[in-house]
This record gives sequence, C-alpha cells and structure tokens, in this order.
Amino acid sequence: MNARMHKFQSRLQRMRADDLGQFVPVLASLFVIWAWFGVTEPAFLTARNVHFLLMQSAVVATLAVGVTIVLLIGDIDLSIAAVSGVGAALLAVLVTNLGVPAPLAIFAALAAGALLGFAQGAVIAFVGIPSFVVTLAGLLGFQGLMLKILGIHGALNMRDPMIRGLTTTGIPDWLGWLCAVLLVAFAAAVLLRLNRQRRARGLERMDNGPLLWRIGIFAALVSAATATLNAYRGVPLLMLILGGVIALLWWVTTATPFGRYLFAIGGNAESARRAGIPVRRIRVAAFALVGLVVAFGGIIGASRYASVSFNAFAGGPLLLEAIGAAVIGGTSLFGGRGSVWNAVLGALVIGSLGNGLDLSGAGAADKLMVSGVILLLAVAFDAVTRGRNPQH
Amino acid sequence: MSENAAGVAADSAAAAASGGDAPHLCIRGITKNFGAVQALRGVDLEARRGEVTGLVGDNGAGKSTLMKIIAGVERADAGRLLLDGAELAIHSSQAAAAAGIQTVFQDLALCENLDVTANLFLGGETTAGWRWLPRLLRPLRGMAMEQDARQAVTKLQVHTLTSVRAKVGLLSGGQRQAVAIARAIRAESTVVLLDEPTAALGVAQTAQVLDIVRSLRRNRHAVIYVSHNLRDVFSVCDRIAVLRHGAVAGVWQTRATGPDEIVAAMAHGDGGDDGDGAGDGACNGDGDGAGPANPANASPPIS
Ligand SMILES: Nc1ncnc2c1ncn2[C@@H]1O[C@H](COP(=O)(O)OP(=O)(O)OP(=O)(O)O)[C@@H](O)[C@H]1O
Ligand SMILES: [Mg+2]
Repeated sequence: MNARMHKFQSRLQRMRADDLGQFVPVLASLFVIWAWFGVTEPAFLTARNVHFLLMQSAVVATLAVGVTIVLLIGDIDLSIAAVSGVGAALLAVLVTNLGVPAPLAIFAALAAGALLGFAQGAVIAFVGIPSFVVTLAGLLGFQGLMLKILGIHGALNMRDPMIRGLTTTGIPDWLGWLCAVLLVAFAAAVLLRLNRQRRARGLERMDNGPLLWRIGIFAALVSAATATLNAYRGVPLLMLILGGVIALLWWVTTATPFGRYLFAIGGNAESARRAGIPVRRIRVAAFALVGLVVAFGGIIGASRYASVSFNAFAGGPLLLEAIGAAVIGGTSLFGGRGSVWNAVLGALVIGSLGNGLDLSGAGAADKLMVSGVILLLAVAFDAVTRGRNPQH
Repeated sequence: MSENAAGVAADSAAAAASGGDAPHLCIRGITKNFGAVQALRGVDLEARRGEVTGLVGDNGAGKSTLMKIIAGVERADAGRLLLDGAELAIHSSQAAAAAGIQTVFQDLALCENLDVTANLFLGGETTAGWRWLPRLLRPLRGMAMEQDARQAVTKLQVHTLTSVRAKVGLLSGGQRQAVAIARAIRAESTVVLLDEPTAALGVAQTAQVLDIVRSLRRNRHAVIYVSHNLRDVFSVCDRIAVLRHGAVAGVWQTRATGPDEIVAAMAHGDGGDDGDGAGDGACNGDGDGAGPANPANASPPIS
C-alpha cells in the first residue's frame, strides 16, 4: 500500500476511534440519501412519508439493535428473524385464539425469545460450535416452530386494541413537544455535568464551545423531527417506547461491566479470559438478550401488520436487512466495535433507500442491487478502518 | 491496611538483607505436554517474598508455559503449586488473581479495541452503589478509574503516552507493554510474574521497569522475572534459575555466579549452587493447612 493510502487509512482509523466519529459515515450516507430523494421525489420529505418511513423501519431497527449485541462479541445470530417470528406467533395464538390478556401474552413472547436465545448461546459457548452454524440451525428450526405455532393456515389476525395501539397511537402535539424539550434538557444537563466533573477531577475533557455546538445540533434535529411528525399524526408512541428500550440497551452495553466485557471479548477473547472475565457466561447472556430484544421486534411487527404470517418473518429479507442495517450503521462484523445507535441509523439508511426507491417507481431488482452496493461499501469501510494490524 | 503496609515495608529490608526467608510460592513437579511436545517435564522452583527470581532459558524452553500455568491460564498435566505451604487449586485466572498472583504475559493479553483505562481495570472494574443490581449491571465509575489509570501510567514515566483514553491498538509496542505492566502492579498481590516485560521498551523505560521490580521487592512481593537480557537479570534478580528443555537445570545466587556460568547452563544444563530446593520444609508442610491466601495478608499495590 502506498504512503498516501496509508495516511488516508490512519485518518479514517482515528475517526473511528473517536466517540462520535463512528457515526460520521452512516450519518453522511443518510444525508446523501435524504438529499437525493428530497430533490428527486417531492413526496419523500413530506410529514406523512417521514412518518411511514420511521414506522416501516421499526422492526428492522429493533432486530438490528438486537444482533448488534452479539456482533460486538464477534459472533453472529442468523436466527433473529425466526426468533422474532416465534415471539409474534406465540403472541398471536395466545391473544387471538386463546384469549389471553395482552400484557401476559407479551410477557410470554418476550420470555420465549429470551429462552431460545439462551439455548443457542449455551450450545455456542459450552459445546463450542461456531455461532454461525448454531444460529443457522436455529433459523431453520425456529421457522418450523413458528409454522407449528401458527397452525396450518400460516397466518393469524391481530385485533387486540392494546397491541395494535402500540404502533397506531400518536401522542398529542403538546406532549410531543414536552418530550422533545425534556429529552434535550436531560441530554444537555448530563453532558454539562459530566464535563464539569471531569474538570474538577483534572481529566481530559471537551471545551464547552464544541459541547454546546453538539447540544445545539441535537436540539435542532429533535425539534425538526417533532415538528415534522406533529404535522401528520403526532410523535408515534412506538418511537418513545423504542427510544427508551434502545437507550437502556445503550447504557447496558457502554456503561456497565457487562457491556465492557462484550467489547473486550470482541476485541480479544483470549485476553478477556486471562483478565478473569467469565467469557462463556457473558456469551450466553448476550444471546439471551438478543432473543429478548428480537422477540420485542416480533411484537412490534405483529402490531404493525395487524397479523402474524409466516412470510413476514421467515425467509431472507428481514434477517438480511437487519444484519445489513447493523453493519451499514458501522458495527464491525469482526467484533469489538459498534453501538446500538449505529444499528438504528443503519436501519434508517435501509428504510430510506427502500422507501425512496419505491417512490421513484424502481423495482425490487434495483432495490436489491443498491442495497448490495451500500452493504459492500460499509463492510469495505469496516475492513479498512479495522485498526492497526500486527501482521503488517 | 496502611498500617499493615508500613509494617511490611519496615521488615522488608531485613528480609532482603538475609537473602529471603521461607519460600512463598513453591512449584513442584509441574508437567505439561502439548500433544507430542513436552513443554515442561517436572519443574521445581520457588519464589520468596522480598526476592526477585530470574528465570532464563533458550527460546522454547518452557518459560512462558510455566508462567501461564501459575497464572491459571493453562492447566498443568501434573504437579502442584503451594502458597505458604498450602496447596493452591488454580484452575482459572480469577483463582490466580484471588490468590494474589498477577502476571504480565509475553503477548501482553490486552484488548486493542479498548482504551488504556479499560485495559488497566479489565475484569476488576469499580462500580458505583446500586447494590440491588447484579455486579455486571451496575454503573461503571468511569471517571474514578480514569484518574487511577492516569496515576498508574504516570508512575511508569512513558512520557509519550499522554492520554489514558487512547485505544491500546493505536499505541506503540513499548507503550502497550507499559500498559500491561501498569495493569499487573495496580492490583493487590503477593506474587508478580513478569514474562519478558522489557522486550519492547526503550532504555529509559527499561530502567523504569527495573526500578518497579525493585520496589516490588521492597514491598515484599515474590517476583519471577523472565528475560533474555542477562544484564537486566543480573542487575535486578537475587537468584537466577535456568530452564532447559522444560526442566530447571539449576538455581544460582546472583552474587555467586556470572553470565558465563548462566550461558553455559542454558546451553549444556550444568547444575546450580542452590540445588532445586526439593527438601525445603515449608513447601511440603501440608500440616498447618493454612488454606487459601488471606487477602488481609496481601501487600498493597506499590505506590
Ligand atoms: N499452545 C501451545 N500449543 C502447542 N505447543 C505449545 C503451546 N504453547 C507452547 N508450546 C510449545 O511449548 C514449548 C515451550 O514454549 P514456551 O512459550 O513456554 O517457551 P519460552 O521459554 O517462553 O520461549 P521464548 O523465550 O521464545 O518466549 C515450545 O516448544 C512451544 O512450541
Ligand atoms: Mg516465552
């Protein structure tokens, strides 16, 4: 590799090492996509379309967030779509056929997802079979399980008002604005307080100028989103719930020993083991957590489609879009790098592409090819910025 | 704890002057095979508190394998480890750390995607309150750890390592080695194993590490120091053990030998003046059943 390429590569690496730098590529692609379709398709940036774009991306985003957890430890879970399908099918059978109250059925679906994830994690960690193989078996087996649960028809309706309300409710405009203000105020207070504490302890910190800039940009984005969504049906309740869940997962993966160990195992599993980290148990817990999260994704899907069908979850598209979203977002397939927010942004990239290409009348063929190119670019970027490689 | 530390420091000089006392760590008949390769064939060795034991030998002699077994990373096929006469059951690195054994591995065992602070505290993170949660889910005390990390790194005087928030993967080889050393001496321990800790270090940083080894000795740690650099070994070790083809060829008092004799032993395996110490009463003393190392007995991290 020549010198200029090296310099470029090391600059990219430094950007990736920065906390916010890892969001730059996916934010840039999102911006390009939105600018392109915003100009070429007048309908793209309307409030109505933005609302639908977000709702369309919700299931993929949830599954992408889930799979990010095992991507961090350098594993993969190919069964996410099937597990979320099992969760959705269980929910539908319990509510529609057996008349179980919705909260209880939701709990059962989440527990089933966690259990399936736990079982796969246990086989991976304690029998020592690669996650690719175990979850591929899970993909097949759980699709069968889903068919069994759904019965011969392969589809069940979902009419329960509470479960439907999860994705059909918009909160009142004033409440939307209140949430937006509270969110920005909370973020600003936390960031400023952290910075003050770091100064008091004499630690490295950001100057207040750039910090205020970031808070300002964040406030502008939140306001724009709120205004746009209020112009149609209000901020969807789903966005608040999903935002809360993802924020909680973000906290778990970045601010707790568990989260730190996910990154450590993904970075160097042998070093993690020598540091006394219970690598196997962490792996099992990670897969169980993925199962829990993707079962939640299944519940969202059941609510949104007002039905649970085999074809909505089985087969390829949902699984591939979710893993693609995580990787396009900037989470490394090689482990040890990424974030749940990257997954959300990646899901928005895929969702926006699909939505925009639909509007412009492109066929399924174009959509697939464009998605393929973007995915390839993202993985290439990941490989180039993988960090200093001792072999070189 | 600080009272204990003061007491320990006071009598360490006496112990060092008398050339050490009863062995702290005893290695007895450790055997390890990797398939057809006999890496270790019955190693006997001991390390005393307040003493640095050098361990030298050719490439592939089995030094690193021995360190890994003591650190709980590899399991011996046969043999025993005794700490103050009590049998140690070290089957994991947690068990070794709990027994007060800290190690700098030859390959450093760092996570390159984590920053310096995270590597220093890996596996022993400090968490804040929130006792109703399992430890793994309690909030990390990031700022406190960062402060401690800065102190630990400052002590090693690697002036080019300016930020403890730098990812270890972006550091130079010597900087990484400094991080691994800082990690080992930060934790509470009585035994410190250093597997070629200066291999990638510059002259000034090597001197710094040798100083750290001496201060470990002052703090009554039992240190095993593996190195190919005989000058360093002679300048810092009290005794020198030669490992040859997976067995101890001999142990010499540093004062009573010279580099020529050590080199000859590495090449041909002539015996040492210290014998293999097999008859040492303290090692075989399973009578008092002292149990696992008492944490209150542990020396504080050097400061
Ligand atoms: N994990 C392993 N699998 C197979 N063989 C191994 C393994 N680890 C060590 N060995 C073998 O055991 C022998 C001792 O290796 P070891 O690393 O302990 O040597 P060493 O004395 O530390 O050498 P060096 O001075 O080069 O670091 C070597 O022959 C090596 O090939
Ligand atoms: Mg070695």
